[in-house]
Amino acid sequence: MRYNVLGYLIAEGFRNFLKNKKSTGASLMIMCATMLIFGLFFLIGQNVNYMLKEIESAQGMQVFMIKDATEEQIQKLGEQIQSLDYVAKTEFVSAAEAYNIVKERWQEYSKALEPYTVEKNPFKVSYVVTLTDLSKSEEVRAQIAQFDNVSNIEIRDKTINALVKIANGVQWISIGILVLLVIISIFIIANTIKLTVHARRKEISIMKYVGATNGFIRWPFIIEGIIIGVIAAMISILILGASYNFVVHKIMESDITSMINMTLLPFNQIFTLVIAVYLILGIGIGTLGSAISMRKYLEV
Amino acid sequence: MIEFRNVSKTYSTGTEAVHNANFTIEKGEFAFLVGTSGSGKSTLIKMILKEENPTSGNIIINGKDTTFLKPKRVPYLRRSMGVVFQDFRLLPDKTVYENVAFAMYIVRATPKHIRRQVPMVLSLVGLSGKAKMYPNELSGGEQQRVALARALVNNPSMLIADEPTGNLDPETAWDIMTLLNDINMRGTTVVVATHAKDIVDRMKKRVIHIDKGIIDRDDKKGGYDSEI
Repeated sequence: MRYNVLGYLIAEGFRNFLKNKKSTGASLMIMCATMLIFGLFFLIGQNVNYMLKEIESAQGMQVFMIKDATEEQIQKLGEQIQSLDYVAKTEFVSAAEAYNIVKERWQEYSKALEPYTVEKNPFKVSYVVTLTDLSKSEEVRAQIAQFDNVSNIEIRDKTINALVKIANGVQWISIGILVLLVIISIFIIANTIKLTVHARRKEISIMKYVGATNGFIRWPFIIEGIIIGVIAAMISILILGASYNFVVHKIMESDITSMINMTLLPFNQIFTLVIAVYLILGIGIGTLGSAISMRKYLEV
Repeated sequence: MIEFRNVSKTYSTGTEAVHNANFTIEKGEFAFLVGTSGSGKSTLIKMILKEENPTSGNIIINGKDTTFLKPKRVPYLRRSMGVVFQDFRLLPDKTVYENVAFAMYIVRATPKHIRRQVPMVLSLVGLSGKAKMYPNELSGGEQQRVALARALVNNPSMLIADEPTGNLDPETAWDIMTLLNDINMRGTTVVVATHAKDIVDRMKKRVIHIDKGIIDRDDKKGGYDSEI
């Protein structure tokens, strides 16, 4: 395409954009709303995933050994576990340490521990195993169970399961909302552009008679859609960015984070992704919307 | 140049607008398509422009059968024909110059070519002095001249005019017709659909007469009603 033609098409696109200020404004608002609602769920989802990652690195399973395991057997099992795939770290817990942990954690039941001492107690020695990928915990557990001198394995996955459920839930809800809102936005943009197309139908019919190709006629309207999409994306990024920063600061300042040991994704890390997603959304919705609105008018 | 072979057209409403039309308009010819409104002459024009497709038969334009032309190719067919209408169809927010240049823009002519070609065609239709005016500042006849300039600016091999003088007073109508004749003298095939009886009679050109969808007369040098 020659330079002057490209320039002409883009200029026409801008002219269309400025022509119907009311309906263009309405489209912009709806698209911003779409993007902000989607952005909200997107940010929640990303943060839950991030927390999940943080927790994953801290969680794993506890492998208890048979009652009277020798030093040698303990050493060997430790090496075997460490050599497995997806194992990040193994940490040995002696019977004495186990005694102390239980005693400290369950102070109100300390009577039950009275018959025992640090040196002489019924606790089994164990390894606390942390994993690089929590979804592989079943696999790792099965492998460890095959090793000698293993008595039982406890997976500490209750909290994780709950979080995974939340993450999945958020993901599905945001996908559902996204699809719904995208469809609505496409039709609203299509309607806006239909108005421009209608206002310029005379021009379009002349273009058809002089032999303009459909592509040539369509481009200014597609560019109009893209302009609406990109501007909506920019407005949404600004609003979402400002609110995210505000909320994150509020949360960080409060005590909640220290209470539940929660970390939030920093702004910079998440927003390149948000910008990319928004621009793709804006351009995609704009293009589709105008393509729909043009279909009927090109049949001359 | 334009050949209709057994062309019939029935609209989806059931009305048969054209029945078994057969005629050939040669290169460089000047032909009138005459008939009352509703006789089918607009349908003939629309089929030449490929705005409508025939229900049966074939239409050959510039040696190519356009009956089964892909929609994608239609714009290129239309570039070989200029077209003017009764209502001029100018863009009100563009000047005379811009209206004509517009036709070149959309077939992707170079700016240099546009700057050379537009003044040339404006002088051909006698509007050199009015390039910067807007359509609403012009008389009907002048507006139709702009439309003619626009139709001719891309050098089409044929000019199709659908009731070009329908909105004009007799004197202006005659001026436009003379201009069409001049254009024809320069080698462009001209087809004019009209029901302006006196003009047709005066021009003494080929007349294809259509009545209730049937071509009932085709005179080489005819009048509106019969051979003179």
